[in-house]
Amino acid sequence: MISSILEHILIHISFSVVSIVITIRLLILLVNEIPGLYDSSKKGIITTFVCITGLLVTRWIYSRHLPLSDLYESFIFLSWSLSIIHMVPYLKKHKNHLSAITAPLVILIQGFATSGFLTEMHQSRILVPALKSHWLMMHVSMMVLGYAALLCGSLLSVALIVITFRKIIRTFDKSNNESFSFGEIQYINERNNVLWNTPFISSKNYYRSQLIQQLDHWSYRIISLGFIFLTMGILSGAVWANEAWGSYWNWDPKETWAFITWTIFAIYLHIRTNPNLEGVNSAIVASLGFLIIWICYLGVNLLGIGLHSYGTFTLTSN
Amino acid sequence: MVALTLSPTKTLFLNSHLLHSTFKPHFINPYSTKTHRFHSSRFLSFNLVTCKLKSPQDIKNKDKNISKKIVLSEAAPSLAEKDGDGGGGGEGNGNGEVKAKSGGSLMRLVKRFPRKVLGVLSNLPLAIGEMFAVAALMALGTFIDQGEAPDFYFQKYPEDNPVLGIFTWRWVLTLGFDHMYSSPVFLGTLVLLGASLLACTYTTQIPLVKVARRWNFLDSSEAIRKQEYSDTLPRASVQDLGVLLMGAGYEVFLKGPSLYAFKGLAGRFAPIGVHLAMLLIMAGGTLSAAGSFRGSVTVPQGLNFVVGDVLGPTGFLSTPTDAFNTEVHINRFYMDYYDSGEVSQFYTDLSLFDLNGKEIMRKTISVNDPLRYGGITIYQTDWSFSALQILKDDEGPFNLAMAPLKINGDKKLFGTFLPVGDAESPNVKGISMLARDLQSIVIYDLEGKFSGVRRPGSKLPIDIDGSRIVIVDAIGSSGLDLKTDPGVPIVYAGFGALMLTTCISFLSHSRIWALQDGTMVVVGGKTNRAKAEFPEEMDRLLDRVPEIVESSRSKEPDNVSG
Repeated sequence: MISSILEHILIHISFSVVSIVITIRLLILLVNEIPGLYDSSKKGIITTFVCITGLLVTRWIYSRHLPLSDLYESFIFLSWSLSIIHMVPYLKKHKNHLSAITAPLVILIQGFATSGFLTEMHQSRILVPALKSHWLMMHVSMMVLGYAALLCGSLLSVALIVITFRKIIRTFDKSNNESFSFGEIQYINERNNVLWNTPFISSKNYYRSQLIQQLDHWSYRIISLGFIFLTMGILSGAVWANEAWGSYWNWDPKETWAFITWTIFAIYLHIRTNPNLEGVNSAIVASLGFLIIWICYLGVNLLGIGLHSYGTFTLTSN
Repeated sequence: MVALTLSPTKTLFLNSHLLHSTFKPHFINPYSTKTHRFHSSRFLSFNLVTCKLKSPQDIKNKDKNISKKIVLSEAAPSLAEKDGDGGGGGEGNGNGEVKAKSGGSLMRLVKRFPRKVLGVLSNLPLAIGEMFAVAALMALGTFIDQGEAPDFYFQKYPEDNPVLGIFTWRWVLTLGFDHMYSSPVFLGTLVLLGASLLACTYTTQIPLVKVARRWNFLDSSEAIRKQEYSDTLPRASVQDLGVLLMGAGYEVFLKGPSLYAFKGLAGRFAPIGVHLAMLLIMAGGTLSAAGSFRGSVTVPQGLNFVVGDVLGPTGFLSTPTDAFNTEVHINRFYMDYYDSGEVSQFYTDLSLFDLNGKEIMRKTISVNDPLRYGGITIYQTDWSFSALQILKDDEGPFNLAMAPLKINGDKKLFGTFLPVGDAESPNVKGISMLARDLQSIVIYDLEGKFSGVRRPGSKLPIDIDGSRIVIVDAIGSSGLDLKTDPGVPIVYAGFGALMLTTCISFLSHSRIWALQDGTMVVVGGKTNRAKAEFPEEMDRLLDRVPEIVESSRSKEPDNVSG
């Protein structure tokens, strides 16, 4: 019981801290760059990270297995991975636009995980026989890390597309599209407006193309990283399947969709090798990848088909 | 598929192109000649020093060309060979010239055909198209239910109400989409993709590596300034820069006033490894599909089976081995439970006997812990309730066969029936016993009313309508999957290689040129992947280059240009 209360407290702290961070971010954008606020938002993310880590550790201790066995836990792990990805640039002293992507993503994912939709999964479950393996840690953590990095990278690409075609999208009355890229749009708007008021109007395009290039480079880098994790995740999954299910490849829906995701991002990486197709073309593929990650991550589980549906998983013959 | 490394290599192409024209026939395909020529004309002002390396390269190429020609057609006249070597670029654009010299056009067609195919296959848009096709087919395969009877598709995709207006069962069955992952369409696309992989590795990646390995100095400051990153250090020495670069992990070469440094060369080689690993996995997968045996069996505890009886071949390469004569005995099948009553693990205690009846191996397998012997792997995958052993009024024990009442889903249900009284009468009555697992048996009396729950082996009797019943034991049967798969070692080798090379591919191949121009050092560099981090890294490095003169002015902050 203590563990569940502790979990509750931790998840609420992290949730509210992330929302505060986002508010601070918006404030910085809308009002002015106040160094103190910027610093506090940095601390906020670290707090979130510590809270989620604490949550995962508590779950680990009380359920006596890795907290990666169902959708809820993998969601928490996903937001944990995102906060890691968020923090890495800070440690390396790179200042980039990742936080505009990661913080809203973390809050959305946590919101989804804690919403009523997955309530029945909150109680940590026992581990079904098929999951009792050392491969669980390797496979699931790699997959989720891969998803996290690929989500970030593809959202940067979405942002790139949005900025490139901003004129078309400018009339977004009801922006029912992704709210995370909304933050990015706002950010760009603000940045441009500030520039607009200054005499250097001509420099606006220069900054914009600089920003686009930065987004392009960073999304490429992060997607490459995510691709490595995804590769490792799929391969370790294949080795595990050869131990548990009798074959390293079963064309299980989740497997297939992971492979489709892999293929799409392989296409992205190949498009990048052609200098003429860099930028928008590759970004479109990456945005497609964004949708496919969600199909792979959620769609297959929610439909409850195949061997990967752990909500209802049982020992089944192939 | 074209190499991952292709992107930033304008100048690389150029190197080989301008100064090593003999190099060209190796990796040029009909589609890319145009762009190459374009680059060369655009960057003619480049001034590269490669004379030193040129001659050995030429000789090497000559050897290669000759040997290749001989392989391609034995009857090729020696004149044509010389023409190919001397003409260099003529392979790509000088068709007429070649035609005039060598006679048999048919022969040349045959000779050129493989190269043309290679060119087409290594085309990047084609490879991307193939990958999209594979992805789309796989996605389609998850939407269409696989492996059902034709009737299922007649109903699901009726002709009078086609999905999306056109898609009917005719499509599904004609194209073999009811078994997508073994359909000719899908396998054909995969084979095409594999061919593209091979062609690209051969025509594009390997030549690129040859170019990348060559280290060259840039001798003019304009050429250095034209790089993606460039900067000028007033009053610095190129030696200091070299030392700093070495400290940062670069390989540094100094020749007079020029410096060349590179880092992460492995990142340029690795994509080749990725492609080869993919091919290895594909080859292993093919061998798996063609040379495996598979089978599954449900055996009650205490019984035997022979491996060879269970296994069935999956392809034409499947050949049985001596190990197929092995007899497997199920010593015991049991489950472990959590306190909540849910199954924690399934165990089967197996013994293997050879033809002489000698036990050669014994192991308790469980899910995630299969038994391996002589290329055969035995997996624990399923279970069933075989029989219930009871004592009735202290007689017996009798074995009552359990019938599966519900086997799909995660809740299995088994039941049996013990007739009471005259078993020959038309409406026979008896005691029903139901069980969800081997742990507890629910017992109903003659009227069908619940009368109690007993655990097997608890020795606690239950009295129903005068008969006294003791449940002695619950005999489970173990569901085993057996397989042999000769492809696994190859596939695993491919997996290992793929993991390693994918990680190495993340490395960015950075190259830096510098030139001492009086007291000034011109630095330029470029990288193929870490384009965002590279300028920052360079700025940090250049900040640490000491100034030579006792000037009080500190160095100007660095600007990124280009």
